[in-house]
Amino acid sequence: MNVDYHALAPEIILGITVLAVLVVDLLRIPKYWTAVIGLVGLFAAFVPVLTLGFCESLDFCTEPETAQRVLFGGSFVVDTFSLVLKGLFLGATAVALLLSVGYIEEDRYWQGEFYFLMLCSALGAVVLASSRDLVTLFVALELVTGPTFLMAGWRKGDPRSNEAALKYFIIGVLSAAILLFGMSLVYGYTGELTFGGIRAATAALGDSALLTIGVILTLLGFAFKVSAVPFHFWTPDTYQGAPIPVTAYLSVVSKTAGFVGLLTLSYQAFAELRDVWGPLLWILAALSMTVGNLIAVRQDDIVRLLGYSSIAQGGFILVPFGAAVAGNVTGDQLEQAFFATVTYLLIYAVMNMGAFAVVIAGANRLKSTLIADWGGLSSYAPGLAGLLALFFASLAGIPPIAGWFAKLVMFSSVLGVDSGWATALAVIAVLNSVVAFYYYAKVIKSAWFDQVPDTIPAAELRGMGRAVAPSLQFALVLTAVGVLVLGIFPNLIADVGDVAKTVAAGF
Amino acid sequence: MTLADYLPIALMLILGVGFAAVMMLASWRLGPNRPTPEKLAPYECGIVPLQEPVERFPVKFYIVAMLFVIFDVELIFLFAWAVRFDQFGWAGIGAMAIFVALLIETLVYVWKRGALDWNVASRERYRRVVAPDAEVAPREAA
Repeated sequence: MNVDYHALAPEIILGITVLAVLVVDLLRIPKYWTAVIGLVGLFAAFVPVLTLGFCESLDFCTEPETAQRVLFGGSFVVDTFSLVLKGLFLGATAVALLLSVGYIEEDRYWQGEFYFLMLCSALGAVVLASSRDLVTLFVALELVTGPTFLMAGWRKGDPRSNEAALKYFIIGVLSAAILLFGMSLVYGYTGELTFGGIRAATAALGDSALLTIGVILTLLGFAFKVSAVPFHFWTPDTYQGAPIPVTAYLSVVSKTAGFVGLLTLSYQAFAELRDVWGPLLWILAALSMTVGNLIAVRQDDIVRLLGYSSIAQGGFILVPFGAAVAGNVTGDQLEQAFFATVTYLLIYAVMNMGAFAVVIAGANRLKSTLIADWGGLSSYAPGLAGLLALFFASLAGIPPIAGWFAKLVMFSSVLGVDSGWATALAVIAVLNSVVAFYYYAKVIKSAWFDQVPDTIPAAELRGMGRAVAPSLQFALVLTAVGVLVLGIFPNLIADVGDVAKTVAAGF
Repeated sequence: MTLADYLPIALMLILGVGFAAVMMLASWRLGPNRPTPEKLAPYECGIVPLQEPVERFPVKFYIVAMLFVIFDVELIFLFAWAVRFDQFGWAGIGAMAIFVALLIETLVYVWKRGALDWNVASRERYRRVVAPDAEVAPREAA
């Protein structure tokens, strides 16, 4: 069998890294080498992503005849869309690893397998970006979620962490069952596993109740993964109970993996069934935004607030899907919606990782995640308070920070569609942006304008920003630069997303 | 696919249930029934049961069971491969070598981590990481 090893190189390198980390953990050498090897592996896996992406300008790279490299009978496709998301997954995992280094190792429950599990999950995400058939998609998705169950329950002696893991596990298994049931119906009706085959079969066979149920169940399985309302119950408890770096990983990599599944399924496999998934995702988007934001307003714990915020952000990411609700939507407009979702995912990954990095840096010294305890942060740790303002302003969507560009393309993707329903969704999104602005601003206000509470020994904490672990400092700088650069030069991300949409959407 | 196509499946179901029912019925009606206390005792590999089944089961058993399943499955793959290995050539041998190497790494990992070590509580790592405050009985008393 002739295999294009260049196209598989990111997965192979990451797989070898996973195995190496497992062995290194057994050797009698300092444990931080597991993290170092993990990071090196992630960067090494990024190299072939780049060489594949810029293949035409490299001498040694043999170009495929078409715009995409198709492997294993169409089950595994490397195109620009998948490369962009592979880059996202690798980058976000590298940042999550940097966040973990200080946090997990200072913890009582530190064990070397943590990085092994995180890299396993990242490997699943990287495969997921390329999977173009139901079985590969399912296996990759389970590889993403399986290790995260263990990571969520990492603090074995902490009841909250146990609760987090148990809830996450039960919901994860339930969603997998729903997903599989939906997939089996789709397969039973169409007789095809690859997305291209399903698309052709649905075009030829037409609609049926069985197929509709299959499609809805498949997409609902993913709705659990992206914690869309009303399938979000596990999210706040799991996010709060899990170690914070794990929460960061869950809210970015695991969530994005869910969205990638939704994107490839909706725009490729179920491309002919827009009247099924358009309204469904419209409802999920509207509910997630509204419920997520309204509950977030009442949170006094910063991690829980970020949990609800990530539900609401998930709603914003779903908004472009809602454009498909219009019957007269054109191919161009669907491409625009696809582009908007990919762009939002990229920017969301950077800013959410940054927000969690700030929370970890603060919680480490303050020993508290209550927003009230963060009062007056600027008086003793101005740098950290500045970064907090930066990332939360980005999440709120204030120009010129990256978040506003994400919101801009999100709005333009639905407003461009000439339909009352699409416009209604845009209006709901606008109202929610205002609500979101309130609670993000509340955190910034607490850090900058409130008095330091008596329980916090501010004098001792002076200069704590400089005492942050070097790996965490690096992660903070990386995400802060990312948020600013993407906000000031949004063309960078527009170019990336543009290429992705033309290749992947295929309308 | 019409309903008639399901007939073989239905027959199979009826046969399966019927076979089990007939066997149980026959041994109940035809077999001599002379119970003694020994015969009524629960069977435990021929050993006299000493106590009621305990509620807590050492988690070790599950790990060993999982290891068994993993290597059992390996055997299934190896068997199918071994039947035709001469036709797969060096690529086939390479692929199987990678597969077996992966499993060997797992075994080494499990071994080094002490999953095959039955006396957990006396292990240095257990005392340090899992239960630093736990009272550990001395080895000879255990």
